[in-house]
Amino acid sequence: MLDDTAKNKLIEVHDLKMHFPIYAGIFRSHVGDVKAVDGVSFDIFEGETLGLVGESGCGKSTCGRAVLRLYDITGGSVKINGQEIGETPQNELRKMRPAMQMVFQDPQASLNPRMTVEGIIGEPLDEHTKLNRKEKLAKVHELMDAVGLNRTFSNRYPHEFSGGQRQRIGIARALALNPKFIVCDEPIAALDVSIQAQVVNLLEDLQERFGLTYLFISHDLSMVRHIADRVAVMYLGKIAEVAPRDALYADPLHPYTKALLSAVPEPDPDLTTEDRVILQGDVPSPTNPPKGCNFCTRCPSVMEICRQSDPEFREVLPGRFVACHHFNENTNAT
Amino acid sequence: MKMKTILLGAAAAVALSACAARAERGADGHLNIIYWQAASILNPFLSGGTKDTEAASMVIEPLARYDEKGNMVPYLVDEIPTVANGGISEDLTTITWKLSPGILWSDGTPFTSADVVFTAEYCMHPEGGCQQETKFSGVTNVEALDDLTVKITFDSPKPFPYGPFVGVESPIIQAAQFANCIGADAPNCTAENFGPFGTGPFRVTEFKANDVVSYEANPNYRDPAKPAFATVTFKGGGDAASAARAVLETGEFDYAWNLQIDPTILTQMAAGGKGEVVSSFGTSVERLMVNLSNPSADLGDKRSTLEGGPHPFLTDPIVRTALSTAIDRNLLAEVGYGAAGKPTCNVLPAPAIYASTANDACLVQDIAAANAMLDGAGWARGSDGIRAKDGVRLSILYQTSTNAVRQDTQALVKQWWGEIGVETELKNIDAAVFFGGDQSSPDTYQKLFADIEMYTNNFAGTDPEAYMNSWTCGDIPTPANNWLGSNMPRYCNPEYDALAAQMGQTSALDDRAALAKAMNDLLMQEGAMIPLIHRGDVSAHSNTLQGVLMNSRDSELWNIADWSR
Amino acid sequence: MLNYTLRRLMFSIPVLLFISFIIFLILDLAPSDPTGNLPLTIPPEVREKIRESLGLGQPMPVRYYKWCVQFFVNEPLNIWDQYWGTCSFGCEDRLRVVSYVTRSPVVDLIVQRMPQTLWVVGMSYVVGILIAIPIGVISAYKQYSWFDQTGTFVSMVGFSVPPFFSGVLVIIIFSVQLGWFPSIYDTTLKVVSWDTFMLQVRQMVMPVMVLALQTTAQISRFMRASMLDNLNQDYVRTARAKGMKESVVLLVHVLRNSLIPVITVIALGIPAVFGGAIITEQVFKVNGIGQLLIIGIQGGDAPLVQTLTFIFAVMIVMANLVADIMYGILDPRIRYD
Ligand SMILES: Nc1ncnc2c1ncn2[C@@H]1O[C@H](COP(=O)(O)OP(=O)(O)OP(=O)(O)O)[C@@H](O)[C@H]1O
Ligand SMILES: [Mg+2]
Repeated sequence: MLDDTAKNKLIEVHDLKMHFPIYAGIFRSHVGDVKAVDGVSFDIFEGETLGLVGESGCGKSTCGRAVLRLYDITGGSVKINGQEIGETPQNELRKMRPAMQMVFQDPQASLNPRMTVEGIIGEPLDEHTKLNRKEKLAKVHELMDAVGLNRTFSNRYPHEFSGGQRQRIGIARALALNPKFIVCDEPIAALDVSIQAQVVNLLEDLQERFGLTYLFISHDLSMVRHIADRVAVMYLGKIAEVAPRDALYADPLHPYTKALLSAVPEPDPDLTTEDRVILQGDVPSPTNPPKGCNFCTRCPSVMEICRQSDPEFREVLPGRFVACHHFNENTNAT
Repeated sequence: MKMKTILLGAAAAVALSACAARAERGADGHLNIIYWQAASILNPFLSGGTKDTEAASMVIEPLARYDEKGNMVPYLVDEIPTVANGGISEDLTTITWKLSPGILWSDGTPFTSADVVFTAEYCMHPEGGCQQETKFSGVTNVEALDDLTVKITFDSPKPFPYGPFVGVESPIIQAAQFANCIGADAPNCTAENFGPFGTGPFRVTEFKANDVVSYEANPNYRDPAKPAFATVTFKGGGDAASAARAVLETGEFDYAWNLQIDPTILTQMAAGGKGEVVSSFGTSVERLMVNLSNPSADLGDKRSTLEGGPHPFLTDPIVRTALSTAIDRNLLAEVGYGAAGKPTCNVLPAPAIYASTANDACLVQDIAAANAMLDGAGWARGSDGIRAKDGVRLSILYQTSTNAVRQDTQALVKQWWGEIGVETELKNIDAAVFFGGDQSSPDTYQKLFADIEMYTNNFAGTDPEAYMNSWTCGDIPTPANNWLGSNMPRYCNPEYDALAAQMGQTSALDDRAALAKAMNDLLMQEGAMIPLIHRGDVSAHSNTLQGVLMNSRDSELWNIADWSR
Repeated sequence: MLNYTLRRLMFSIPVLLFISFIIFLILDLAPSDPTGNLPLTIPPEVREKIRESLGLGQPMPVRYYKWCVQFFVNEPLNIWDQYWGTCSFGCEDRLRVVSYVTRSPVVDLIVQRMPQTLWVVGMSYVVGILIAIPIGVISAYKQYSWFDQTGTFVSMVGFSVPPFFSGVLVIIIFSVQLGWFPSIYDTTLKVVSWDTFMLQVRQMVMPVMVLALQTTAQISRFMRASMLDNLNQDYVRTARAKGMKESVVLLVHVLRNSLIPVITVIALGIPAVFGGAIITEQVFKVNGIGQLLIIGIQGGDAPLVQTLTFIFAVMIVMANLVADIMYGILDPRIRYD
């Protein structure tokens, strides 16, 4: 996969920050921020799938939405196809929306309960294309076929579908405008295992057919291993490590990645679990992250410096980026 | 002196004729009247409410009315029958009215004695539920001698035979219209009850029950130049303050009835200069009824009856006099009533010929004298400051209906009685219960399960005979008569009963007046009641409205035919 | 849905009968006396006769039975006859529910009161809703902005200031001081021309505003809360992700969903319109249903109070049904069968 780096970058995220202000008291004074995403940088190459993994609450969804500018971000830059969209006002962004879409985490909540499937899938066509009614319906049916939904269901409401079907509606909806880039926010988390595989396979098929680029958010490491080309590991609003998939799974560098991977149930019992790392303590609050490295409170190999300064996120091996003081030393030593 | 009167009279005559020459029916357009209690029905026989009888008084009329001074004025007759003119028989058992010829109903048919006879039948029908039945008490027969002569026969001599067909509560309804509405059918005649034909200056064009009545000038009214107003709106609803505002502040209405509101607010409103507050005094007296029987709950069924024994201390005349002397009636009038009340020491303060002056000492409050009286009678103050004698403490339960002015009065009286060493416990009861006839309630004003109670009563018209009969022994409310009776103090004095009987035999006005005064004085001196305030009626009219003569003895609208702008 | 409606209607019949009996019982036990308000000059014997002529001498079950026959059989027959101009089943001596005080059929009184109640109270409800919905939408969309804060303050005022205060206040300002509007509602006014129409509008302004303030306060709060609920939903983000215009997001997606609970609340509030607004009607002398009820209560007019309260009970049961059905129509997730 390393040779893929030659491909051009579709998405470039640099030092992206998304802080949610907290107000309290009678006068609603600003007392702090939830630093849901706090200085994240990564690139996604055209046609690839970047997996984004991390514990619940670490800021994955926020990161995905911020990249699509569904939030007004606090800082940093986001480029899509070389065009900076970090500061673009929302109504100008609207015209660029067709190119970038999102499949949401909760298929039930993300569909308007009072709209039929046809309305949900067809609505953006009204806004961004000049299709007439018939063409629109044809397009809706085509999309339903593409995601494997029965066309005759087009007049039904979301609640009349199963969870897997709903997620297909969400995917069809995302595909309606022929996007280049789709953020898939745990598209399979709410589904049971057999259907998970169907949906993932569907996503892979579609990627092939339409040449899509995915940011695939998940906390399921084995699923990410299956679908992603490269993987980014997130912890408490920051990226701990980015690496090509095989390299990461074979040789995780960051202590957090190690801990995460060792927690994955090993299908082969012969492979010993002697070096399984169990993390101690709770995830600190994103409102008040620890000083220094944000993993220092739970890191099994924490050093004094980790409590003092924030490690730099840097490329330690070709294509492998890590934010950890251990590697600062190593590289310094060599 | 004489010359002057003649000149004045002449001047008045000129002025009147000048007026008359100008006047023309309907020339003054529209008149707006507001009665904050809306009229429910225009048949006074089916409703005793003032709002209803007065709304009807613009349409249907009695044979004679009382003017603002209490004099009887012929309306549908040419003269008032008296013994002198032969209209009343020597034995005082019959009265004969001669109707004025040529009077028409508003539907154009002639008004005859048959209508008068019919009206009597209508109200005296046992199943009709006629609310003005007392007007016909003692009547045995009403007959038409000819088309224009009606003779009323009573079962016994009636020295004052002006009950039937006199005053706002006894008007004449049209026989032809109400023929099918007699007895049990009375309530079913909605159209008739809502739009009676009358001989009065106006006729009903639209009636919305409990809301508004619209009238127009009666084209068949006997005086072709009257009424001056072509149409009238008689609006109901809201409260007294907003009615006053509509006349005195916004000027939307020309006349507002019964403005019993805080006197200072009324004065403020009147200061706007759009209208004028007018008052008149009838016979209403706010009084304390002193329970002469024992209200102790221990007596069970005999509670507050004469069989239960006398009151432990209120039967002592000195205590009653002291209680009365301790009250500052002027202050009560000022605080609670303003233009609508003046202090009085009589339960019968009006009309003027009946008003006694023998009791006027009570007009001045004298706490010291009251204290001295009680000291002298051996009521000594205990350690708590409350007087007692032979183990009986002067502790009074004082009840009345719920009403802001009454509660103010109660508080003031309680304070004054405190100063003379009398302990007072106050109680107020919802008016609907207090005055309601519910036999099961212990809180009715008739049961009087208290030492003293306060309310207002009055009598309609000018003759006090029936009213003064209220305090005879036979009229005491008891469980035996279902507490029906109006002698609340349970006052029973053969001397008083004798005077009452004598009045029933006397017809000369002066003699009747003397008797009434004597009865009033007896009641006052014996202290069966402690009168406080002679209450008046307060209304307001706009400055543009002419001819209003406030009248507490008849409808306030009694002379509406003469109103003009 | 039809089956559901029919089933609900059928169930409501015994409920309503029971309610009517309870109302009758309460009124019967209440210490109110139709002769209680008569002048004290009317002696007790006469009062007793009046009570008898009103039928109060009969035992309670008999009176209840009579009322039921009159209300459930005779009145509908009467409406039928009046509508078709016929005379069926002896219309001549058919007994109707008759008021003690006015001695006229209660139903006619109620019908007479309907126009002003519907005009004033109904209009105020409509006006209140029309004002409340945009306020609710904007307050939610711009949560904690000065607009929202002002809206919160105004609705607090609307909730807490009673109409007998606000009504008198506007009368003093607009009738007494400025002389713009009449303080007394003229129920005899018939709208036949532009001028009379303007008179009608002028006399409606103040009562409608006073009442609408209350409706607005209530509905705008509901609207705001419901909008806030929906604004944070994922499907709104979906709509934005689709690149829809903000106005479409707000008005098509959020508003339509937010209206579902609000419409239920509005439907449940409709009986209150027919119930009139007792105090406001008194203050402005509108003399609608509310004032009729209060006069009935004061006068011990049991047939009137019984009939009115029963009609309110029917309205409330119906409004509940309508609210449920509306909910089913508006929200595709709800189905009754
Ligand atoms: N609108 C918001 N306002 C305030 N805080 C928010 C908001 N959205 C998210 N957060 C906070 O930001 C943090 C990250 O949330 P996010 O939804 O991105 O987590 P996540 O990684 O997607 O978790 P999960 O795997 O459970 O979906 C959480 O602590 C969350 O409470
Ligand atoms: Mg998430």
